[in-house]
Amino acid sequence: MNRTVLVVGLIIVATIVVVLFAGLGKDPQRIDSPLVGKPAPPFALKAVGTGETIDLEALRGKPVILNFWATWCGPCYEEHPTLVANARNLPNVQFIGVVFNDEEPKIMRFLAERGTAYPTLLDANGKTAIAYGVGGVPETYFINPAGTIVAKFAGPLSTEELQANLAKALR
Amino acid sequence: MIATLFLAVLLQVKVPDAALLIGQPQGTPLTGPQLERRTMEISSELRCPVCQGLAIGDSPSIMAANMKAQVRELLERGYTEPQILSYFEKSYGGFVLLRPKFQGVNALVWVLPLLVLAIGFVLVVSKAKKLEAAPEKPAEEPTDDPYLAQVREMVDKQ
Repeated sequence: MNRTVLVVGLIIVATIVVVLFAGLGKDPQRIDSPLVGKPAPPFALKAVGTGETIDLEALRGKPVILNFWATWCGPCYEEHPTLVANARNLPNVQFIGVVFNDEEPKIMRFLAERGTAYPTLLDANGKTAIAYGVGGVPETYFINPAGTIVAKFAGPLSTEELQANLAKALR
Repeated sequence: MIATLFLAVLLQVKVPDAALLIGQPQGTPLTGPQLERRTMEISSELRCPVCQGLAIGDSPSIMAANMKAQVRELLERGYTEPQILSYFEKSYGGFVLLRPKFQGVNALVWVLPLLVLAIGFVLVVSKAKKLEAAPEKPAEEPTDDPYLAQVREMVDKQ
C-alpha cells in the first residue's frame, strides 16, 4: 500500500476515534449551562395559591434552590418528596418552585395531594424558563447568597445530589 | 382562553429582561408581514431544546412555541438577528444554534470536510502525475523460447 495513503488514512481514522471517544462517554441529555458562574436572571413572579410576589433579588444573602417543574412531567412526581423533605430540613436555604406551561388548578391539586414546604411560582409564558436556559423539566439551579448561579442539575434530584450541589452554593 | 391569558398576565409580575444579557435594541422594531417572515427565519436557526434536531420554527412543542414567541417579541422591540441569537446562546449555550459558530472545537465542523477534500484532491493529482510520468512499457526482448514466441505471435494477430 502506498505510504502516503496509509499515513493520511491513519490520521483521519485517529481523528474520528478521538472525537468519538470524547463524545460517546457523555450523557447527551446533559448540557452544561453557560449561566453557571453568572448572575441569576432576576424575576418576580406570583406564588400559586397565596398570590404573594416572590422577587429573586430580595432573596440575596441566602442560598436559593430554584426548581423548574410541571404537573405534566413524570420525573417531577418522583422528585417532589425529596425537595419537600430537604426544604423542611434546611430552613436557611430558600427553595423556590417555578412551574411553566401549566395551569394553576392542576398545580394546586398537585400540591394539595403531595404537600409543599416552599413557594411555587407560575411562569405563565415560559419567559423565566427561557432566560434560565431550561430545556426540559425538572431542572434545578443552585444560586449562592451573592446571587450567582453555581450549578445546574437536569433531571430528578436525589438528596445526595441536592446536597452536593448545595455545598457549591455555600462555599 | 381569554381567562387563561388574563390569569397569565396577572401572575406575571417581572420576567428576566433580554436587555440585561444583550443590551439595548440595535435595529428597527418590526411589524406586520416582515415581523412574521423574520420570526420564521430566525426560528429556523434555533434548536428546540426538547426535540431531536428540530428548529423551534418546525417543532410543535410548547417550549418551542414559547421560544418562538420570545423571538417575535424581541424583533418587535427592535433587536437584531445577531442580538437575538446571542440572547438564546447566553441562556442555552452554543448548542441552541443550528448553525455552529466558526470558533473553538466548532470550527472543526467547517474545517475538517474542506481539509479532507483538499487532501483527497492532492492525492488524486499526485497519483495522476505519477501515472503520467511512468516510463513506457519496454520493448519486448527477443526470446529463444519457441513457446513464448508462439504466444507473442498469437497475441499480435488479435
